[in-house]
Amino acid sequence: MGERDDAVARTTVDRLIHEPARLAIMTNLFVVENANARYLLQQTQLTWGNLGSHLNRLEEAGYVEVEKGYKGKKPETTIKLTEAGREALVAYRNQLIDALSPVTQDLDEGQ
Amino acid sequence: MNTGLTDLKALERDAFRRFYDDGLFDVFVGALLVTMGAIATVTDRYESESIVSLLAFGIGMALITPLLLWRRHLLRTRLGTFEPGPERRRKLRGTKLALLASVVMGVIALGVAVAAGNTEQSADVLGAIVPLLWFTNAVCVFGAMAYFLDVPRFYFHGVVMGFAMPLMIWPDLLWDRLVEPVIAFGVPGLIVAAVGICKLVEFLRTYPAPSSEGSLDG
Repeated sequence: MGERDDAVARTTVDRLIHEPARLAIMTNLFVVENANARYLLQQTQLTWGNLGSHLNRLEEAGYVEVEKGYKGKKPETTIKLTEAGREALVAYRNQLIDALSPVTQDLDEGQ
Repeated sequence: MNTGLTDLKALERDAFRRFYDDGLFDVFVGALLVTMGAIATVTDRYESESIVSLLAFGIGMALITPLLLWRRHLLRTRLGTFEPGPERRRKLRGTKLALLASVVMGVIALGVAVAAGNTEQSADVLGAIVPLLWFTNAVCVFGAMAYFLDVPRFYFHGVVMGFAMPLMIWPDLLWDRLVEPVIAFGVPGLIVAAVGICKLVEFLRTYPAPSSEGSLDG
């Protein structure tokens, strides 16, 4: 593998998670057992429509579980990070560290 | 957009702490202390002390318990709901244990008071010990809550509330000066409640009521 291939391999990150809004959803779900839509809306500052579309993408990838139900008479949507979602976020974090380590070394040396 | 990826612990802590930013718990605790002081002052004037104090406590609780129900509604509609992760659940268990320890300590203090009897000498000893126990208890319980719930202002509440009993008993013991319970408990209670009201105003401004419940379907 050449130097360029190495660099490409290092910068290959999960693009589904790499999008800031989806990353915010994933990290916020990572630290709780589950949360409802209002909680995620408040934490991520997204709009209902945006949150819904990003959750759809994550659900299709099997990263989150969206459960629509009722709390009393009111509809309630509960969202949970799946085991695959947890593993994907940890892997993404490691990929990012790997990709950035040469850059941070260069920056440190440059100072 | 803060994704929180660099510090997941801080992300969790800040999200959890937000659920105590409404200040209504502080108002509840402060109001409870004021009620205790008012009851002690009022019941001193009646012969059937226990009945009057029970009645007054019932009225006080009926007045301030709706605060907790409002708090639940406020948090649910403005911040949403979540089920905490394993680390937070461990911390919440710690809070419950601290509260349980506080109750046990209270029962022991009561037991000591009953066992000491009703002599002038025992009253002097109890007068010195009970305020210390009260102070220690308040600081430990609220300190544990501050630590386990990650809400630093509860340390302050613990110290302020801890002064209630010494303020009532020690001036009488040392200088023969009576401080009415409504003052001794009321002043710390009002300070704690005032902090809560400031937090509540800030909370209502920061998190306005949602105009309508949206839909994830767009």
